[in-house]
Amino acid sequence: MPNAEPLLQVSDLRVHFPLQAGLLGRNAGTVKAVDGVAFHIDRGETLGLVGESGCGKSTTGLAMLRMSPLTDGRIHFDGEDITHPDKPALKRLRRRMQMVYQDPFGALNPRMKVLDIVGEPLRVHRLTQGRAAYREKVMGLLEKVGLKAEMADRYPHEFSGGQRQRIGIARALAADPELIICDEPVSALDVSIQAQVINLLEDLQKELGLTYLFIAHDLAVVRHLCHRIVVMYLGRVVEVADRETLYDNPQHPYTQALLGAIPIANPDPEVQQHFNPSLSGEVPSPIDPPPGCPFHPRCPHATELCRREAPRALEIEDRHSVACHLHDPDRAQAMAGNL
Amino acid sequence: MNMKADVTRRTLLDVQDLHTVFEKDGNEVHAVNQVSFDVKEGEILAIVGESGSGKSITAMSLLRLIPSPPGRIVGGRVLFNDQDLLDLDDEQIRRLRGRDIAMIFQEPMTSLNPSLRIGRQLAEPLRVHGSVPKEKVRERCLELLRQVRLGDPEKRLDAYPHELSGGMRQRVMIAMGLACLPKLLIADEPTTALDVTVQAQILELLRDLVRANNSSMMLITHDLGVVARYADRINVMYAGRIVERGTAEEIFHHPKHPYTLGLMESMPRLDQAPGSRLTPIPGQPPDLSDPPPGCPFHPRCRFAEARCRSERPPLEQITDNHWKACWVDTDAKR
Ligand SMILES: Nc1ncnc2c1ncn2[C@@H]1O[C@H](COP(=O)(O)OP(=O)(O)OP(=O)(O)O)[C@@H](O)[C@H]1O
Ligand SMILES: Nc1ncnc2c1ncn2[C@@H]1O[C@H](COP(=O)(O)OP(=O)(O)OP(=O)(O)O)[C@@H](O)[C@H]1O
Ligand SMILES: [Mg+2]
Ligand SMILES: [Mg+2]
Repeated sequence: MPNAEPLLQVSDLRVHFPLQAGLLGRNAGTVKAVDGVAFHIDRGETLGLVGESGCGKSTTGLAMLRMSPLTDGRIHFDGEDITHPDKPALKRLRRRMQMVYQDPFGALNPRMKVLDIVGEPLRVHRLTQGRAAYREKVMGLLEKVGLKAEMADRYPHEFSGGQRQRIGIARALAADPELIICDEPVSALDVSIQAQVINLLEDLQKELGLTYLFIAHDLAVVRHLCHRIVVMYLGRVVEVADRETLYDNPQHPYTQALLGAIPIANPDPEVQQHFNPSLSGEVPSPIDPPPGCPFHPRCPHATELCRREAPRALEIEDRHSVACHLHDPDRAQAMAGNL
Repeated sequence: MNMKADVTRRTLLDVQDLHTVFEKDGNEVHAVNQVSFDVKEGEILAIVGESGSGKSITAMSLLRLIPSPPGRIVGGRVLFNDQDLLDLDDEQIRRLRGRDIAMIFQEPMTSLNPSLRIGRQLAEPLRVHGSVPKEKVRERCLELLRQVRLGDPEKRLDAYPHELSGGMRQRVMIAMGLACLPKLLIADEPTTALDVTVQAQILELLRDLVRANNSSMMLITHDLGVVARYADRINVMYAGRIVERGTAEEIFHHPKHPYTLGLMESMPRLDQAPGSRLTPIPGQPPDLSDPPPGCPFHPRCRFAEARCRSERPPLEQITDNHWKACWVDTDAKR
């Protein structure tokens, strides 16, 4: 039976980092990496998280695992408030929630054999009995992600980028988690292995009822895999919608720009001519961001109001919300006056 | 827009029979196996291919960056402006790296020093090669960071790599590669961590620099959309070898090698029903220490014939702009 309560709920999440400058590290401002983010993830769904490089996607993912410092906000997992978990709660949480990291190179300890990298969650949470069972479990995991069982005895540097990414996925699966946060899990893979891994993630979801937060920049992959998508810009959520709605009817100007920049796998000049990916205007920075809508310095529709006041998220139709003054009926009048 | 296969252009890089192996418990892994290709001035050459097929090792071999042991370049020539880079002494190759040929590495986190601020790291190639006067170094660093679209560059110079997002680190790497305006830029998966708008801005920048300076770029990427837009020619690699080569137009509109066909078919497409099953190439990549006899792709190939199992097909020219290493007439069999 579907459980109506979301598996994960994030409200008004803020993660700010102090910015240091100079050799003495004097405080030179605040990086508002995540600045008031709210969303939920239903059980068994794949929620996509997309947005400009540096907009706070990884930080949001790490916050859910309670691995980035929270400035403000609340996080609930399976009904439990995990905003300030004690040690045992944190340990439980990190078994039920796993992460596949963005950088497969930095994430794997170069001095550990694949056996012990993939098996780490098994050891930490004491999930297998005895060396033989442990080995067997790890080998099974390797095969599950399309690697060879004998690779267990090798070290990470002996693998190519894509192979290393699959090692990371195998590790994330080891502890039979409920929620997996996938941070760009397929961007280092060739399209054939990418297709294998995507099919694998889908199979595992069906088989084990897994829930995914899927952070990615490949919008064709996101459309394929994600049921619902959250679009972020400069630390905020600008649009949330079901996949069909988002791709067919994007409403936020940033979402529109993003979808317009998907590269097309056809070299014909006539096709490429119409592709105009550029988002002009000031390069955004989360360091002491400007007031108002975070997108206003680059938005073709920006008005005085957008420069002054941040828009609130509004549900413009069923399961589709947008944070943009253009879509706020209460503001329409004020906008008209300013246009 | 594309220069396609313009034969009148001068050859900048000419790689002949490059062969790189790794020693592993007495076994030899032939990571790059008799690879030959060239790069023309003003050209963007893409290298695509299976994960583990030797793309990065090919690139690293050119600059003699193979960790040894266990790696070794056992054969071939790498002619850059008619000089064989494999003949240079260590000092000579060091002077060339970053200045004449720069490489943007696939792994930002292991190529950036985690304990040095990014401003220091960015200034390093400028200092080593003395490409700008000392008092201009900071200014040049800021200019580079602006070019790669990093916001607030003044405030980011003092950041450590872990304080940057994945895509920001990747852009710092790109800035380092561009620092000395190299003749040849080798970009190994330079935009995997970038969203599509920033990716487009960066790749347009790289292409404009290549065109403006008549320099060249080797672009290693899995993103076929990127390849279609930016590459003049494409090398397709499988199991340490080039199995197909041609202009972008030939490879996208008339792919011949079954591996290339498989790649095109595995791509998720925007005109597909979402959630429909993707079609990866069946089977597993070969073990490079014990490759199958005959064509390395035959165990996974739906077209394989008896000959494919015993005899390895050479890379042969089939039209003006197109080469393939395959015995089968795939067009007839499809
Ligand atoms: N240090 C090493 N020791 C042993 N084998 C290695 C080493 N480095 C690479 N290899 C092997 O060489 C082969 C080619 O690796 P390479 O990194 O060039 O692949 P790639 O085509 O760049 O793949 P990807 O797309 O995943 O980055 C791989 O099969 C890999 O296992
Ligand atoms: N540990 C940290 N200390 C200081 N600043 C940080 C830290 N981690 C992240 N940031 C800053 O927070 C912002 C968001 O970073 P984050 O890694 O979440 O972005 P992202 O959306 O994942 O980007 P990408 O797509 O490039 O990976 C960036 O400006 C980054 O510099
Ligand atoms: Mg990230
Ligand atoms: Mg590589």
